Amino acid sequence: MQSKMKESHPILEVKNLFASTDNLPILKGVSLTVYPGEIHAIMGRNGCGKSTLSKIIAGHPSYKITNGDIKFLGENINSLEPEERSQSGIFLGFQYPIEIPGVSNLEFLRVSTNARRKFLNKEELDTFDFEELVKEKLEIVKMDQAFLSRSVNQGFSGGEKKRNEILQMALLEPKIAILDETDSGLDIDALRIVASGIKRISNAQTGIILITHYQRLLDEIKPNYVHVMSDGQIIKTGESDLALELEKKGYEWTDNFIKRPK
Amino acid sequence: MEIIEKIKTNKSIDNQTEIQKICLDKLQSSPLPNLRSEQWRLSNKSKLANFLDYSVNENNSKFDIPYPKNSQSTIRLIIGENCQIKLIKKYYSIQQLSKDELQKYIKEQISFFNQNENWSDLLNLSLSCKNNILGLKINGSKIPPIEIFSHGSSNSLNAKTLIVFLEKNCNVELLQVNLSEDNSSLSQSTFFCLEENSSLNHGVVSYGVNKSNLLNSLNVIQQKNSEYNLGSLHFKFNYARFEIRIKQSEGNAKTNIKGMQITKKNEQISTYTKIDFDGPNGFLDQINKSLADDKSHAIFEGSIIVPKIAQKTDASQLSRNLLLSNLAQIDTKPQLEIIADDVKCKHGATISQLNEEELFYMRTRGITLTEASKLQLSSYFQEIISFIPVAKDRWDLLDKLLNEN
Repeated sequence: MQSKMKESHPILEVKNLFASTDNLPILKGVSLTVYPGEIHAIMGRNGCGKSTLSKIIAGHPSYKITNGDIKFLGENINSLEPEERSQSGIFLGFQYPIEIPGVSNLEFLRVSTNARRKFLNKEELDTFDFEELVKEKLEIVKMDQAFLSRSVNQGFSGGEKKRNEILQMALLEPKIAILDETDSGLDIDALRIVASGIKRISNAQTGIILITHYQRLLDEIKPNYVHVMSDGQIIKTGESDLALELEKKGYEWTDNFIKRPK
Repeated sequence: MEIIEKIKTNKSIDNQTEIQKICLDKLQSSPLPNLRSEQWRLSNKSKLANFLDYSVNENNSKFDIPYPKNSQSTIRLIIGENCQIKLIKKYYSIQQLSKDELQKYIKEQISFFNQNENWSDLLNLSLSCKNNILGLKINGSKIPPIEIFSHGSSNSLNAKTLIVFLEKNCNVELLQVNLSEDNSSLSQSTFFCLEENSSLNHGVVSYGVNKSNLLNSLNVIQQKNSEYNLGSLHFKFNYARFEIRIKQSEGNAKTNIKGMQITKKNEQISTYTKIDFDGPNGFLDQINKSLADDKSHAIFEGSIIVPKIAQKTDASQLSRNLLLSNLAQIDTKPQLEIIADDVKCKHGATISQLNEEELFYMRTRGITLTEASKLQLSSYFQEIISFIPVAKDRWDLLDKLLNEN
């Protein structure tokens, strides 16, 4: 299915990934390859392992990879710390962005942007230069400057939190962005703003993985591939029309694709 | 008993003031606090003994204040160094209490002392010579912020006493700084009397170096319609004890307290608070934070007393604690004692570690674990530091806590 492209090298390769937390297996052999310019959607029931996959790619310390590899730009990153993964260009947009009281959003954004810039051998930005940059990026997600002086995500509405995630994505300019249910909790207008932000940030050099339950985000951002997860595995991969079929038939239909042990 | 001997051998009975004699007599009957009493049972016995190991030093060695220079917009006083002050300005006056006023007030206070509860004050007043007692009477408005320093010098036990009367309608910002050198013990007792409609924003910043010890006792009496706000920070002491006793003598007063203690290595720092509501319509909002790392021990014991007369009291006491190591220990006990039946009182305690999900979130944004922990701690500290008057504008306490502690 993913064979059409690709003269170029993949950005992300997940190969036969098994992972567990507290000795409880969560991922049971996930394989996924993302090439530059591609948008992948991962769908599936609650608890099927979608969010876990995203956290493991981002390096969450609570999960242990028991088998398989994650390669980013050809390098195995299994043992990299979350901050090293982020600095090298992996971005995880959280389903529930964390509130950090007392830490100003502006300072948080500046520190994280500079961490990425340092990795890219770009000059780090002082407060004044950063403010210029962030003003420009705020426009992408139609956020007011007042958000910058508040504590990170504290008191933000659901939609504001998600827009703040996309703002971070715009500032960090990742090679691959994994957006975990970025559409949840958004009204129609906010969804359009977020979707248009994602489209503006992505380009032919970047990859995007959208984790979602609903077709409505995929109406705004058309994926190249749709994967269905169940019980820690990708059980079906198709093109964008697979999401439409899922919308019609529900996840029960995909149960037919689960490989049963003989 | 040993401490009494030490005090006596240091000074002939003829040179003792009347107050010192009274306090020594009281200490004679019970030279150490009852270590089984609720106020002292968690106190590290050997550390307390170490506090008393140094000989009493009534002289004040010069010391370099490691923090911002005096400025024209603040009044700086160092107990024991420049106790002569008489400022009479257009809108305010700051004058020293006369010897008689001091004596009368202290004697009155001593008559209410309870041996266990006020042992630190008894010790202080038995050691504090007249040069090391600063008594102030403040009135008026537009008073510049005041900084008052107490200093514990190396290899000695220093005792400093501060007594402040805030007269009616007076509004003051006062920062008290207790600095201790290596191998030193500092006994600091402070007495505030807030008259009607007066308001005091009080900061207490105490820090030492290795093997510094501190017994810091604070007594506040609030008359009606007064407001007392306390922001405090204690860190870097081998052994430190901060005792806060506040009495709203007629009710109808407001008290806000935000305190924090930080322990590392093998240190023990404790905070004991007792808030008495002796009249109706009293208000208290208190947060105490402890952060314990390595093998250290932090203690908080708070009690709120609401007798029958204190109807319509609105009091809240919260203890929030961060335990950063498996070997560190935190004991916390917020308590309410309520007799009145028409009150709104609440208390609570939490002990947690740094929030893993917050850390992960920051790390996924390229921030290293060390930096992410610092950011988290800075937000934890900020709530308290921003409440400490004067210091928040002039002293970079946050930087000191994050980078030096």
